[in-house]
Amino acid sequence: MYGGDEVSAIVVDLGSHTCKAGYAGEDAPKAVFPSVVGSIDQMEVDDPDNSDKNSVSADSKPKGKHKFYVGSQDLGFRRDHMEVLSPIKDGIVVDWDMVESIWDHALRKCLLIDPKEHPMLLAESCSNTQHHREKAAEIMFEKYQVPALFLAKNAVLTSFASGRATSLVVDSGGGSTTVAPVHDGYVIQKAVSTSPIGGELLTDCLLKSLEQKGIAIKPRYAFKRKEIRPGEFQTVDLDFPNTTESYKLYSQRVIASDIKECVCRAPDTPYDETSYSNIPMTPYELPDGQTIEIGADRFKIPDVLFNPSLVQTIPGMESSLETASTIRGLPQMVIDSINKCDVDIRRELYSSILLAGGTSSMQQLKERLEKDLLEESPQSARVKVLASGNATERRFRYEEHGASYIQRKCP
Amino acid sequence: MDAKDILGLPKHALPVQEKKSKPPKESQRKPDGISREVYALTGGMVPLMPTIDVNQLKRKSQNDKITWQWLPFTSSARKDDLQLYHWLSNLFDANAMQSVDVIKYTDEEYEKYLSDTAWTKEETDQLFDMCEQFDLRFIVIADRFPSTRTVEELKHRYYSVSRTILIARAPSPSDVAGHPLVKDPYNETQEKERKRSLALVLSHTKQQERRDVEVLAEAKRISVARKTIKAPKESELPVISDVPVGIDVDTFTADTVSPSANSQITSSIVTNSVCETASVMASLRMLHVYLRTYALEQMVQAASSSAGLRTIKRLEQTLQDLGFQHKEAEGSSYRDGSYSETPGTPTKRPLRAADLDRTFTPDSLTFGGERFGKRDQKRKGHGRSSEAPSSPAQSKRPRKF
Repeated sequence: MYGGDEVSAIVVDLGSHTCKAGYAGEDAPKAVFPSVVGSIDQMEVDDPDNSDKNSVSADSKPKGKHKFYVGSQDLGFRRDHMEVLSPIKDGIVVDWDMVESIWDHALRKCLLIDPKEHPMLLAESCSNTQHHREKAAEIMFEKYQVPALFLAKNAVLTSFASGRATSLVVDSGGGSTTVAPVHDGYVIQKAVSTSPIGGELLTDCLLKSLEQKGIAIKPRYAFKRKEIRPGEFQTVDLDFPNTTESYKLYSQRVIASDIKECVCRAPDTPYDETSYSNIPMTPYELPDGQTIEIGADRFKIPDVLFNPSLVQTIPGMESSLETASTIRGLPQMVIDSINKCDVDIRRELYSSILLAGGTSSMQQLKERLEKDLLEESPQSARVKVLASGNATERRFRYEEHGASYIQRKCP
Repeated sequence: MDAKDILGLPKHALPVQEKKSKPPKESQRKPDGISREVYALTGGMVPLMPTIDVNQLKRKSQNDKITWQWLPFTSSARKDDLQLYHWLSNLFDANAMQSVDVIKYTDEEYEKYLSDTAWTKEETDQLFDMCEQFDLRFIVIADRFPSTRTVEELKHRYYSVSRTILIARAPSPSDVAGHPLVKDPYNETQEKERKRSLALVLSHTKQQERRDVEVLAEAKRISVARKTIKAPKESELPVISDVPVGIDVDTFTADTVSPSANSQITSSIVTNSVCETASVMASLRMLHVYLRTYALEQMVQAASSSAGLRTIKRLEQTLQDLGFQHKEAEGSSYRDGSYSETPGTPTKRPLRAADLDRTFTPDSLTFGGERFGKRDQKRKGHGRSSEAPSSPAQSKRPRKF
């Protein structure tokens, strides 16, 4: 088998929250950075950077009116009037300029390669349209002049990475959750189900919940800490009037998602207010030195995945899910998806459920999902949920199968 | 010297000599191929799996020198001539990509053999294209087929077309008679039925199963309760055949329960066993167990019916059949009846029997009457088969269920 690692192919996975890029066959991607760009409208600002328009810096892309800043390093530096924008809405690309800038950053800045020398593997979402695929192929061939290109579905890559040709992939990422059955290396399109509940929604829930409790999360740029006495720090607020709202929100989200990753875990039983009201609180130190205590939210937030109607109990979040009643929880999505498939493969799907995506690395999520599925699944089916260790490495561990499929048309 | 005093070790050299003799023995037992330390890790025991022969490993790495080359390659599975490069070593050879041979029919062939009311030519063509593209993965084809056709329909069309073409193209029918497509044609209705029943099986969730189990347990409890209500009403039945019943009661008593208190229960149990259902009878017959109580039942029926000469004779015959056992049982039951006078057997055994019997008591009492009776009849059967002349009391030995 000619493996992708033998031909030194590059894998790029542009997700709604993070972009991952790296060499095929490696355990983890070399480049992982947020898939949002900081964009400064050139026309509004008398920017001293204008003179650098023709500079060689690959991450900022002066293209007509906008200058893009890509990568966590550039995004972490506060700039006046910088808006934080995402090229992806509902899992599908809407702005191709931004996507180009992101790809530039990944290939030239992070991986330091010349695309002409490497076949490219692009991971796409299961609901990607033909038009989008054509556009992606066009950019890749015309701009980057890659020798070979393959567009693979996320779910298929995840399946192969775990060594299986048939599995049910539960991809719980930043922007959305997708449940897709893969049979013999092909996605069963009619049985794919998506839900808008993803890591970002959970982060927002946490943010609103903390706000409601009176805890204001200060973005990192909004303060500095002075050492008054040895060992003791004092926080001084800084004011930057020209900072955009989107940037402030972005910075707050970064902190909130860190809290979520450290503190939150999926509850063993469905969440209800009374039983979790006396739960011991966990402390967390914010960047500005403030220590906050988080109690019931630790379990309430992750339970949104299983019970979406919980979102409506968080003040400030009622409007974010328009049709919250029709959105199903994770176990229900899994069962619905399996039941839409042919009867013969259902058992196999039940026994190989793969968890992928950043949100699925939440503690106890696998156990909770298994438990919920055992309740609702058929008696004769053996339910097995598998998760790989590292969140970002899951799709990158594809080895032998990958390039053999590069040789065929994209199905 | 002082240390030895403190430790209390003997000062002479005997133990040292013993130790010396041991290591040479150990090293003799060590198998070849693995080092002594590794063998000691297993605790000096032989491993269950065969160990890899070290020599084999050494041989592999000392092969001819491994070289690597950056070579172009094409894939036989591709229709174009895309050339990519990769590093190749002289160890591995290229694996071929397999693809399935999908039959290609011409338009004339289609018109001659393959026209079907349910399928247009375009659809059939598209089906065959997809079959080739997806290597006969019908589930995927069904997923991506433009019109909604079930997997069974697609399979049926594909296999029937292939079969027809195969037969049409063959010079004579016997040539292709062995071909799997011709021998075992695709059976659509069977497949549909199979899938339907599989779907039914898979639709039983665990909650439903639990409910089913509860309902079944409840039903069993009710039926057992009904039996125990029925039994006392029929205890008047075996009045005539008191004697054999009595014997049975005694032997049952001796066998299973402590002698004194439970004869009442055993009699009711015996009567329970008398009015057993046909299903249990049938199952016991399958076990090739001689049922004394079945014969008893016959006797009871014979006795309760109007007694004619014939029936009396039948009665006597059955009595005789049991009589052999009966006398034996009688004798042994007397023996076991009074535990203190068991001759020739060690005093331990009857005590053990009693102990075991006592422990079995709670079990036997909790079971429904029919279960108990069944078990006993089984043991009676065993007892009969092991007609050891040495001691009839042997048959009363506590048996393991």
